[in-house]
Amino acid sequence: MRKITLSQAVNEALAEELRRDPTTFIIGEDVAEAGTPFKVLSGLVEEFGTERVIDTPIAEPGFMGIAVGAAMTGSRPIVDLMFGDFLFLIMDQLCNQAAKIHYMSGGKLNVPLVVRTNLGATRRSAAQHSQSLHALVAHIPGLKVALPSSAYEAKGLMKTAIRDNNPVVIFEDKLMYNDKAEVPEEEYLIPFGEAAILREGRDITLVATSSMVQVALAAADLLAKDGISAEVIDPRTIVPLDEETILKSVQKTSRAMVIDEGHQSYGITGEIASRISEKAFYHLDAPVLRMGAMDVPVPFSPALEDITVPTPERVAEKARLSVRGELFNAA
Amino acid sequence: MPVEVIMPKVDMDMASGKVATWHVLPGEYVEKGTPLFDIETDKAAMEVEAEASGFLHHPAAEGVDIPIGQPVAWLYQEGEELGEPPVRTALADADDKPSPQPVSETGSEPVCADETDEILPQQFGASDKVRATPLARSIAQDAALELTEIAGTGPRGRIQAIDVRGQVEARLRHTSAVQFQPESGPLNISRSRDGAGMPVVLIHGFGSDASSWKPLEAYLQGRPVIRIELPGHGKSPKLRIDSFTELSSAIRRAFDMLDIERAHLVGHSLGGALALSLADTRSKSIASLTLIAPGGLGPEVNGPALEGISKSTRAESLGPWLKVLVSDEKLITDGYVKAAMAPRKDPALRAAQARLCDTLFPDGVQPFDLKAALDRIDVPARIIWGKQDAIIPWRHALRAPGNIALHLFDGVGHMPQFEVPSEVGKILRQVYDGAS
Repeated sequence: MRKITLSQAVNEALAEELRRDPTTFIIGEDVAEAGTPFKVLSGLVEEFGTERVIDTPIAEPGFMGIAVGAAMTGSRPIVDLMFGDFLFLIMDQLCNQAAKIHYMSGGKLNVPLVVRTNLGATRRSAAQHSQSLHALVAHIPGLKVALPSSAYEAKGLMKTAIRDNNPVVIFEDKLMYNDKAEVPEEEYLIPFGEAAILREGRDITLVATSSMVQVALAAADLLAKDGISAEVIDPRTIVPLDEETILKSVQKTSRAMVIDEGHQSYGITGEIASRISEKAFYHLDAPVLRMGAMDVPVPFSPALEDITVPTPERVAEKARLSVRGELFNAA
Repeated sequence: MPVEVIMPKVDMDMASGKVATWHVLPGEYVEKGTPLFDIETDKAAMEVEAEASGFLHHPAAEGVDIPIGQPVAWLYQEGEELGEPPVRTALADADDKPSPQPVSETGSEPVCADETDEILPQQFGASDKVRATPLARSIAQDAALELTEIAGTGPRGRIQAIDVRGQVEARLRHTSAVQFQPESGPLNISRSRDGAGMPVVLIHGFGSDASSWKPLEAYLQGRPVIRIELPGHGKSPKLRIDSFTELSSAIRRAFDMLDIERAHLVGHSLGGALALSLADTRSKSIASLTLIAPGGLGPEVNGPALEGISKSTRAESLGPWLKVLVSDEKLITDGYVKAAMAPRKDPALRAAQARLCDTLFPDGVQPFDLKAALDRIDVPARIIWGKQDAIIPWRHALRAPGNIALHLFDGVGHMPQFEVPSEVGKILRQVYDGAS
């Protein structure tokens, strides 16, 4: 099968959906003639024109508000939010308006809107351009949250997001834009709420999201050298979350570790770990572990930045101690 | 008992620390939560609060290196007798240290540090509280094992699944070695509390017991019921049985002791063979004979299933065999398996049944042929069988002479009285209402 980059996969997904559905349009900063962030949108303005690929001033609350209104009145906007960190600027439009309008209107209005943004540190972009803020929006009922972990997922999940009648926030890992993966030529969609088992194992389940999927797979390789067989699961969407696949796996392995690039405190790792503890309690042979990013602003210093996010070595070390029954501080 | 104060682990790489300053003099009272001493490590100095209230005694000398987890002082309660000065292990440069001695020998209760701190295993000595993972607990419960009797190999002595599984296997090895111990005494007879009319005597099958008749009894419309339990089954003694004839005699003795004039007789499987044999010798006392999937009418029998049931030590291994007994596996619920497993947890019972299985069904064959007895029967008799019986082939019924009625049920396995009790009950009522 052909291999394309994550950028190309997203570009294809957007172009196919813009062609398929004339009510769709892209709106955001630098999406058209001003040149595109991370070069993901190359060629789209040329094909669809400035009416459907719309450059805005640097005014996130403004264009997000426009998009919510457009979605309420029959369009399917795709909002391009250049950095996930800018979510703070559109919080009211996204969380108070988009997420709740269907409910507040008694089901009379839908907000079929996609916010396309990103996450991920270690790009030396400093504290205000390196955050992984998906937990913020996952907390709000009414929003769906997709976390593609490769070019294949990025395309399939994006197309599903655009066709969904609810607001969806989709986070791409900005370090992976140039990473290639096998992507079919023919059209496909990836349904929300269906996790992927990327590697089967019997000793411990590693549940990893987005950027951390590759980390978990590399950790599984390291663990295999010690004779420990790790199962790696990518939930792909955290809202909705495929609990069943995760719980089944934990029932088999009796141990679990959740890895996510958001800050560890009050984040995705805590949520998933707690569901495992509640729902697979009598299958657990060790406390459910988790590893998120350090609870600090992401440092600009490369040396410091690199140690704030989980690495294959650290994931493997913690998992190894757990499987061997030597993890004393999580007693 | 005085409370031990230990050298806490206050930073990641710390192996030992020094008491820089005591905030409390020996013999003074300290409130829980107030500063007790300052700790100094290679990297940092910090204040440590008292984890309990009490009078400070035997404080470690200031400035002496002490490994984490080791005691630095004891807190005594009012009126508590002062023990011997405790012995502690100090590192190299302490001149005043006595010889190393384990903490557990001080007679003091160890005090847990904050659960979230990194804790070393040696801090935890004796404790009454069982520390076991949920999975370990779950396995132990299913296997009816006491966690207090299992040594944990996990962090801080935590019992993990592997420890319980090890114990289960050890018990298996032990119980498979349990020898059959013959007992003596009369077979267990149980009777329904009330009922009118001629009694119905029930003889259950191999590996079962009197409780297996419960579903059918509900359809017997208040007739008095008398259940005989086979040797080594239910509450009957584990008699030494060396042949089918001996087993037959044991049942006959039990029947003769019932002190009844006449009875309807029902037997299932091996109990069917025994009922037939009983009717052959006590025909005057038998008003009618009903054989449900009876043994003794042909050589074939599902040997592995019989052996599997008699040797199962756990619900997990018993369940699949019980499913072989019926046509619709859904009838064998987890609850049913658990209930069936309950009496089988007794290794002596399993040993007795395993021996009986080997005696009666050598190489998985029924060596006793009761065809002649069946031909001789002169009481009203019928055979009830499920056509999906996977234990004894229903075609054995075809050897019956013409005067014996056959009731064959489609979609039913080896236990019609459990699978279709209302149908079996209906047949019995028709027979019994006509007879009495």
